[in-house]
Amino acid sequence: MPPAIQIEELTKDYAIGFWRKRPYRALDRLSLAIEAGEVFGFLGPNGAGKTTTLKLLMQLIFPTSGRAEILGHPVGHVATRRQIGYLPENPYFYDYLTAEELLDYFAQLFGYAAADRRTRVSRLLDKVGIGAERRLQLRKFSKGMVQRVGIAQALINDPAVIFLDEPMSGLDPLGRRDVRRLILELRDQGRTVFFSSHILADAEALCSRVGVVAGGRLAAAGRLSDMLAFEIRGWELVIANASPESLARLAPIARKTTDISHGRYSVELSLDHPPEQVLADLSAMGASVVSLNPIRDTLEDFFVRRVAEAGSARSVEEAAHARD
Amino acid sequence: MRAISRIAVSVFRESVRDRVPYNLVLFAVLLIASSFLLGQLTAGQDVKIIKDLGLAATAVFGLFIAIFIGIGLVSKEVERRSIYALLAKPISRPELVLGKYAGLVLTLAVNVAVMTIALYVVLAYMTWTTPPALQTAWDAPGVDPALLKAVFLIFVELMLITGLALFFSTFSTPMLSAALTFGLYIVGHFNADLRNFEQVVESRSAAWLARGLYHILPDLSAFDVKTQVVHGLAVPGGYLALTTGYGLLYIAALLIAATFIFSRRDFK
Amino acid sequence: MKATPAGIGSRGATAVAVAGVIGCLSAAVGLQIARDRIHAGETRETERILYVRSGEAAKRLALDFDALWADVYWIRAIQHYGGERLASARDRKYELLFPLVDLTTTLDPYFTIAYRFGAIFLSEAAPGGPGRPDQAIALLRKGYAAQPGKWQYLHDIGFVYYWHYRDFKTAAMWFERAADLPDSPTWLRPLAASVLGAGNDRASARFLWNQILQSEEEWLKRTAERSLRQLDALDAIDQLQAIARRFPPPPGQPYSWESLVRRGILRGIPADPAGTPFDIDAATGAVSLSASSPLHPLPHRQTAPAS
Repeated sequence: MPPAIQIEELTKDYAIGFWRKRPYRALDRLSLAIEAGEVFGFLGPNGAGKTTTLKLLMQLIFPTSGRAEILGHPVGHVATRRQIGYLPENPYFYDYLTAEELLDYFAQLFGYAAADRRTRVSRLLDKVGIGAERRLQLRKFSKGMVQRVGIAQALINDPAVIFLDEPMSGLDPLGRRDVRRLILELRDQGRTVFFSSHILADAEALCSRVGVVAGGRLAAAGRLSDMLAFEIRGWELVIANASPESLARLAPIARKTTDISHGRYSVELSLDHPPEQVLADLSAMGASVVSLNPIRDTLEDFFVRRVAEAGSARSVEEAAHARD
Repeated sequence: MRAISRIAVSVFRESVRDRVPYNLVLFAVLLIASSFLLGQLTAGQDVKIIKDLGLAATAVFGLFIAIFIGIGLVSKEVERRSIYALLAKPISRPELVLGKYAGLVLTLAVNVAVMTIALYVVLAYMTWTTPPALQTAWDAPGVDPALLKAVFLIFVELMLITGLALFFSTFSTPMLSAALTFGLYIVGHFNADLRNFEQVVESRSAAWLARGLYHILPDLSAFDVKTQVVHGLAVPGGYLALTTGYGLLYIAALLIAATFIFSRRDFK
Repeated sequence: MKATPAGIGSRGATAVAVAGVIGCLSAAVGLQIARDRIHAGETRETERILYVRSGEAAKRLALDFDALWADVYWIRAIQHYGGERLASARDRKYELLFPLVDLTTTLDPYFTIAYRFGAIFLSEAAPGGPGRPDQAIALLRKGYAAQPGKWQYLHDIGFVYYWHYRDFKTAAMWFERAADLPDSPTWLRPLAASVLGAGNDRASARFLWNQILQSEEEWLKRTAERSLRQLDALDAIDQLQAIARRFPPPPGQPYSWESLVRRGILRGIPADPAGTPFDIDAATGAVSLSASSPLHPLPHRQTAPAS
């Protein structure tokens, strides 16, 4: 089964400045493959190239080099768009139309018959939680409601691949929960979801795989659990019946000791000291071990570290270029 | 094909919701009011003035619609970014451009038709209330079918101006598009004077330049047969055909260029 | 760094688009040229119906672009004049010439060339021109009212009286008035005197035209050249007339150039300065300018006294 989305060495340069001195590289040789049925989180700080990537995939802009395919066809193939849905960032639709009319208009572009359109439109508006407001003109909608309409229009054609650019933006916590549920539902239906976000919590909750971009480059990509699995920062040891002597023994190697209560302590050990030896010592001293758990990186830690790495790599490169 | 018509209808619907029909009411009121006022003036001239006013107003209102909606056709969508969601649907960029053009032409057609009907209604009323003896002084009958020739050419001219506005709006801002289109409108109406330049200037190269410009710039003065029609002079079918053909070919060139530019643009 | 759509064969598509645009525009221009050629007549008809006749109305309509509109009307005036000249003699009406030039000068009162050339156009005798020296003088007076320091206008008025009305006293008076102005050239006063004195002679006429020949404006120069050639033609006619009278043909034979050439009196068929052969009346031997000559009609037809 070919990947649903295949991106190879995708690069986008912009010419900036009045005299066109230097091209600004918004995206640098991005390569990714997203399998069918995946929920892929495309993460990165603002300005990292997430929206650029999505616009390249929707052929709103053209690549400087590289290529991409969706469902086996090159990006820009018009017929493939029948199976794609797209929610742009901070969407704006025609504010003189009502929500119903907008969805109906888009449905018309797919060529659905009138009765079919009616069912689709009302079903989707129900699903995204737009009730009687659907007959109001969009200019009267709040940002959150426009976002919901945006999601609805992305799904009007039951697409196999859905692209969402910052789908949670403008939504309150309830709205975000609804969208999360929706995305999981899409996954359960076997659809592929590619969404970009700078909110890591959403990615943690939804994605099977993630990619991290910073400064236009892919800093890391892979299964969430894989990426975080190797990144053990330390160990958390919970002991009971610890005597002051055993605590004193632990003090030099413990990064942090927390008194839980009644003789229970939580001790944070660094990676330098293998836990096996500590356990042996402790039981010799009469303390009992309640639990031993690895302390993993959160996605945030991972993210911040990778972004910093990418940033420094980029500035090194730019300095080298400037010298030339 | 279906996509083009859908987009065209959407443009038309937008123009309706955009309060464009109000200018039609203004036009009708203008005509009716002036016809009553002019009824008091010297007999014989009021029909001519109504016809002049009616045709000129049709041309001017049509011009405003063509320019102000035309420049926004593409650039407003791009600026507001509603085009992002639109282009994700199964329509190609050329279909989008052509659909927008067709929509504005449709809007213009409806507006021009309504204004023409209003004009004829007023003229019919005038003809009905004027004694036949006075009517013999008129250059042309009150309810004159020849007026339609002038209206037709006005409409073709408006299609051309719309094409210009659309062309500019594929790559420049609304302000600049309006200025350029309006500028070409004015220059285009002085085109006939460019043709006679060689009789006035001394250097051959200036004369050649003027000639070249005469051919390249849109020759809008040729579409103006209002004077002939109002005075009852003949407008031969051959003239209509050649001028219309000129207009359609020029429009085709503009649409090809607009589609080409639009298809290659990055939408930031 | 301009990105192009990948995989569409973009250079091929560009070529097709450019070809399409050029093709359509060329075809459009072709239709335009065809229409201009076939339907030129209609436009002449329409121009007779000048929309705005009143200068004041034009000034108001012109908003702030008076000078530009003056240029436009001037171009149309010339085009009207040229168009009428090209039409057959029967159809020449020139009826728009004065309104157009009047509009031009109302919109731009300092438009010297419009006054001077307009006056020349207007005073040119029928059938070649409108034959309205009265309008010419009115125009020049208007110019003088706008710019009282310009001696050229007064000189031109005098000239119209001299050349077209043959009113030498009035002409001399105007030349005197022109001479009174500060910047006027020194030859104006002697000119006035000689016009008053010998009025009808060609020498002062030649002098006047030679002055105009000095002007920088191409139009005035050409008119002056033509008039000078007309004067030369008049001289030539006098000489030929004398010859024809002195050497009449044998009795029973008509006057003709061929007989004079055969008899060795003339070297060849005499032609006017424009190259058209003169006419000679077969019966009376009267020499005249051919009607087909570009110099026709001659201003003062003078017959030399019969010898």
